[in-house]
Amino acid sequence: MGRHLLFNLIQVAVVLAFAPLVAGVLARLKEIVQSRRGPSVFQPYRDLRKLFHKDEVVSDRSSWIFRFTPYLVFVTPLLVTLLIPVLTDYPLFFAFMGDMLGGGFILALGGFFATLAAVDTGNPYGPVGASRTRMVGFLAEPVFMIVFFTVSFVAGSTIPYIVQQAWVTPLANFFAPSHVLLLLAFLMLILAEGGRIPVDNPTGHFELAMIDESKALEYSGRGMALMKWGGYMKLFVLMCIYLNVLVAPWGLAHEQTLAAVLLAIPLILFKIFCFLLVLVVIESSLAKLRLFRITEFLGAAFVSAVVAMISRLFAF
Amino acid sequence: MNLLVIPAIPLLAALVASVAPGRKGAPAVTLMGACATLGGALWAAARVASSGRLVTIAAWAELDGLSALVLLVVAFVAVLAALYSWGYLSAHGYEPRTVRRYGIHFNLFVFALVLVPVLAEPALVWMAVEFTALFSVLLVGFDGTPEALEAAWKYIALMFMGAAIALLGVFLLFRAQAVVGGGHYSWEGLRSIGPRLPQGLVIAAFVLILVGFGTKSGLVPMHTWLPDAHSQAPSPVCALLSGVKTTVVLYTILRLVPLLPAHEMDVWLQGVGLLSVGTAAFLLLQVRDYKRLFAYSTVEHMGIIVVAVGFGTPHGAYGAMLQIVSHAITKSFCFFAAGSALLVVGTREIASVRGLVRSSPLVAASLLFGALAIGGAPPMAVFLSEFAILRAGLASGAYLATALLIGFIAVAFAGILLHVNRMVFGPAPAPDPAVHRRALPTTCVLTLVLGAIPILVLGVYQPSGLHTLMTQAAAALAPAVVP
Amino acid sequence: MPMPPATSADWLLNLNALAGGAFLLVSFGLVALRQVQGCVRLYVLQSVLLATSALLLSALFQTWHLYAVGILDLATKAVLIPWMLRRALHDEIYVRREITQVFNIPTALLMALALAIAAYFLSRPMLAAVAHDAPVALNLPIGLAGLLLGGLTAVGRREAVPLLLGLLAMENSAFFAGIALAPELPLTAEVSVAFDVLVLVFVVAVLTRAVERRTGTTAVGALTTLREDPRG
Repeated sequence: MGRHLLFNLIQVAVVLAFAPLVAGVLARLKEIVQSRRGPSVFQPYRDLRKLFHKDEVVSDRSSWIFRFTPYLVFVTPLLVTLLIPVLTDYPLFFAFMGDMLGGGFILALGGFFATLAAVDTGNPYGPVGASRTRMVGFLAEPVFMIVFFTVSFVAGSTIPYIVQQAWVTPLANFFAPSHVLLLLAFLMLILAEGGRIPVDNPTGHFELAMIDESKALEYSGRGMALMKWGGYMKLFVLMCIYLNVLVAPWGLAHEQTLAAVLLAIPLILFKIFCFLLVLVVIESSLAKLRLFRITEFLGAAFVSAVVAMISRLFAF
Repeated sequence: MNLLVIPAIPLLAALVASVAPGRKGAPAVTLMGACATLGGALWAAARVASSGRLVTIAAWAELDGLSALVLLVVAFVAVLAALYSWGYLSAHGYEPRTVRRYGIHFNLFVFALVLVPVLAEPALVWMAVEFTALFSVLLVGFDGTPEALEAAWKYIALMFMGAAIALLGVFLLFRAQAVVGGGHYSWEGLRSIGPRLPQGLVIAAFVLILVGFGTKSGLVPMHTWLPDAHSQAPSPVCALLSGVKTTVVLYTILRLVPLLPAHEMDVWLQGVGLLSVGTAAFLLLQVRDYKRLFAYSTVEHMGIIVVAVGFGTPHGAYGAMLQIVSHAITKSFCFFAAGSALLVVGTREIASVRGLVRSSPLVAASLLFGALAIGGAPPMAVFLSEFAILRAGLASGAYLATALLIGFIAVAFAGILLHVNRMVFGPAPAPDPAVHRRALPTTCVLTLVLGAIPILVLGVYQPSGLHTLMTQAAAALAPAVVP
Repeated sequence: MPMPPATSADWLLNLNALAGGAFLLVSFGLVALRQVQGCVRLYVLQSVLLATSALLLSALFQTWHLYAVGILDLATKAVLIPWMLRRALHDEIYVRREITQVFNIPTALLMALALAIAAYFLSRPMLAAVAHDAPVALNLPIGLAGLLLGGLTAVGRREAVPLLLGLLAMENSAFFAGIALAPELPLTAEVSVAFDVLVLVFVVAVLTRAVERRTGTTAVGALTTLREDPRG
């Protein structure tokens, strides 16, 4: 038991520590693809340190929601980390607390408060971004639901530790159409939820075109740092779910020893690095969609999720 | 003689027409080819009437009563259409190149039409049916006006959609036969094991083929291409499309009827048929284009044939066969008459044609004759066949369907006569100089005369050979007797 | 949990299922994709998936018929038809985007979904009749769904090339069901269908060129002068 608690905390530490690195690597890779040098992969850490040392300015018209939100945004990915397989293929100490649906709800809670906080300040760009985020959210939610339903239908469970085994026993199942289509749908969801191209441009600086970023415009100092860090971790957690539960349930610690768990850390980082390469290809080859075309993008995700579902429901 | 010679004749004619010199070369070749095809068809039909079957390659190319009847009808209408095309082309004064193009497509179209009854393997028949569409589409768009091209596009799109749906039906049919095992994959092979075929598969295949090929034969609600194509295509092509192409495709649907579980689909067939008859009868009332008028009449008659088969009795089947023959000869005549009116008047608008009886009595007379004949007035062929069908309906106990059929036929009759009456009688308007009028060529007149003869003759007298053939054909619609 | 070891038949069935899922997804893509060139590529992809399924099933059934079908399919649909389309119509048509479709794209996708689900329900009675043969159970619903989606594509498109591709996709889908239903169908049937499709592409190309010459557009779906309109 105590060992499981320790592993769980290691998981949280891994997410905390490596999430900014992943963001930095992604930015650097994109720069390289665009034939530029770009900042160091450790730039996000420097940004965070700088922000933590700065003073925070808070509008006196804002309510407690504005002050409370950064903490929530920071904590929610960590809570999800307790539930999902990041390093091990067996459930850890806190895993009993929730399934994949629970994880989805916790992440959504952070997003919900970020939206409220954006409206709270009275900055005109905040509500614009908030309403757009909601629009993307409304379109993404049904897809999430279908994906979860299909996953639970296949595995007979919504516990991620059981799901990841269902895809590979027997190994031929890995190529089942429902699985491959789910991978596609979930990838599109990650792009939408993570605010990546083609749904949103995370590096854009034009307020009118922003979706996700404009929600954090009013933050500064520590609040900003927490919001950013929370954002990095959310992407990290989404990628962990995607990679460990859906794509490649290999390379996780199977033995209950500290060495195995520590060995799993470079493996998950390697998987994420491979995924980042894919992400960079997507981001470099696509342009950001016009706002109303996002419907079509998520419509496509919805279609592939439903096709996954029906090909599972009716066949075999 | 080899059965495959018959479709080879128009194919050869298409080749020769592509190099035929002058403005008369291609039509002459076409006419000769069509006559030779008719000769072959007569020979084959006579053989079938005397011996019951004619087999060249077992399970691939063979004729029985039903297919011989269809072949005969196709060949007959093809001769008249070829004759009419001669006049039609010369009246328009097309370039030799255009005339050759017409000749090639016309002969290929006839080739495809002849191929359908000659082949006996469903997958190959599917191909032949698809050829009837592919080779006629450029004829539909022959005039090259935006309207004609639109009609051609609509035509080909719906044709191929129907074909793809029917293709799935053909696969299912093959599967159904494979489940039972034994016998050839041919119409006759399927019929001989008909009752043993798995019913679910056969019904699914039948529904798919009914939808797919029903599109091609103009059954409501997939009939939308038909009036468009018929209003735009050259009149002799209309005669082929309406008179025999729809019939030929319907023939392939009828081939599946004996496979169906006895009487289970009868009500459905009656329903599908009545839907076409009823819709077409009421659409007839509001047309503004007289070629569309006859096009809707085709939809109506296809429906009548399906209803007749749906009665499920030998008399009903015989009535359907009679209707196939009478409709083909009458409807092609109607389009020859309508085409002649178009030639002399230069417009397809019913409203702008008045007093035809004064300006061109021959065209007026043939139009009126065609309208009466297709409407079902005695003593013409359609009257006889419709009467036979209604009697079969009453005898089979389908009173409601028969009553509806009578009502719809009456509405259609009134609708056709209403419009044709307006065109034929009334004061002749002052000639509009903007409209191009042409004199009626001699070959067109000849076609009208030749076309009218069988309509009248078949109304009062049936040659014994034809009767035998139709009896055999009707028998082919009944399930095979299992020993 | 003890699991039976995966046999090679399991693998073939699963890979076939994967090809089927992708096939269905490509059908959806044809309904919704705006770029004409993209549609051509999707069609080629669909044909390749059809050939893949044919080859996998030929290994499963151990019949050379389907092997020949797969090769024939690749040769005509993945090579010859795109080449014919390229030759017959000038490049400008392919770089086009379809500005308007009959249904807007989310609507079309929802309709497509409804059709796909309907196809699965419609194929139930047919599957009951073939005694739940695994390849048929997979291919038939997907083929039927593809057939309906191809029809939706043909109905919903205005531009000539995507419209044609919708029709061709219908034929592909019928075949997708057909290779599982009738693996022993005489090869003449397949050859004649392939020939038929080539003639179709040729005829449509001729027609499209004529339409473009006369009306200056290839948006054939927008030609709607022929109607039963009382005012004309």
